[in-house]
Amino acid sequence: MSTAPEMTDVHAIVEQVWSSFLGDEEPLLPAYDAEVAFPADDAWSAAVSIHGGWTGTVTIELSKTLAFSLTRLMMAMEDSEPLDDAEVADAVGELVNMIGGNIKSLMPGPSALTLPVVAAGRAAHSSDLREVSRFDACWQGEPVRVSVHSPS
Amino acid sequence: MTQRAMIIDDSRAMRSILRRILGGLDFETSEAGHGQEALDLLEVATAEGRLPDLCLIDWNMPVMDGYTFITEVRKRPEWRNVTLMMVTTESEQGQIVKALAAGAHEYVIKPFTPDAIVEKLELLGLTGTGISA
Repeated sequence: MSTAPEMTDVHAIVEQVWSSFLGDEEPLLPAYDAEVAFPADDAWSAAVSIHGGWTGTVTIELSKTLAFSLTRLMMAMEDSEPLDDAEVADAVGELVNMIGGNIKSLMPGPSALTLPVVAAGRAAHSSDLREVSRFDACWQGEPVRVSVHSPS
Repeated sequence: MTQRAMIIDDSRAMRSILRRILGGLDFETSEAGHGQEALDLLEVATAEGRLPDLCLIDWNMPVMDGYTFITEVRKRPEWRNVTLMMVTTESEQGQIVKALAAGAHEYVIKPFTPDAIVEKLELLGLTGTGISA
């Protein structure tokens, strides 16, 4: 078994999560241009770590607009209803939990998944981690990036 | 008679999704953010004679995880008729076997579709109204 998840596997998992919980009326479009722009001050991110047979971190980064849209969809909230940061953190955290949990199942086990850590802003990784897989996509015209890091 | 379900997940978003699925089946729902809160609610429900027919349980939660919750529920004979369904991202075969051995009746891996939940409930004979289709 590979020591890093394949990009195609990450892509398939993200698409499955997206279509299951956000509907497939608006598809998640792969963005092959790796330079998808994330506004530095206008992004949300969340990460889960996997420890055991394989060790790594799965991160999702998305624009604030997208984070708010998917939160409203997951919680079945109207556009007019107020939304607070805790609700956005909850929804974004659950997304990375599902993506990370399914990536974990592809890797050598047994292993454990941490609870999600969510932040308003871009993700930062320690210097001992290197990116081993990344999936860039676009949804409703907004960028989303899922990346996998593991110890170098 | 309306059937009752308790949704145990630390994610409000996931509880909202499951609540809508179960609500569509006419289940009466309650919610807990972790296993200990769910145990506390079960104690209250026992005292009131309103035990849920079904618990949907996440695995990874703060305070008390879903696996520990199941082992605690199975220690109590008065809760033996509560159907326990794991709904979790944990999909390693060893964990599925562990949960089922501890007393879970069914196991659903996230992400899921509403149809997948309905299908599992039908297999368990749970229809929300208590009337089989």
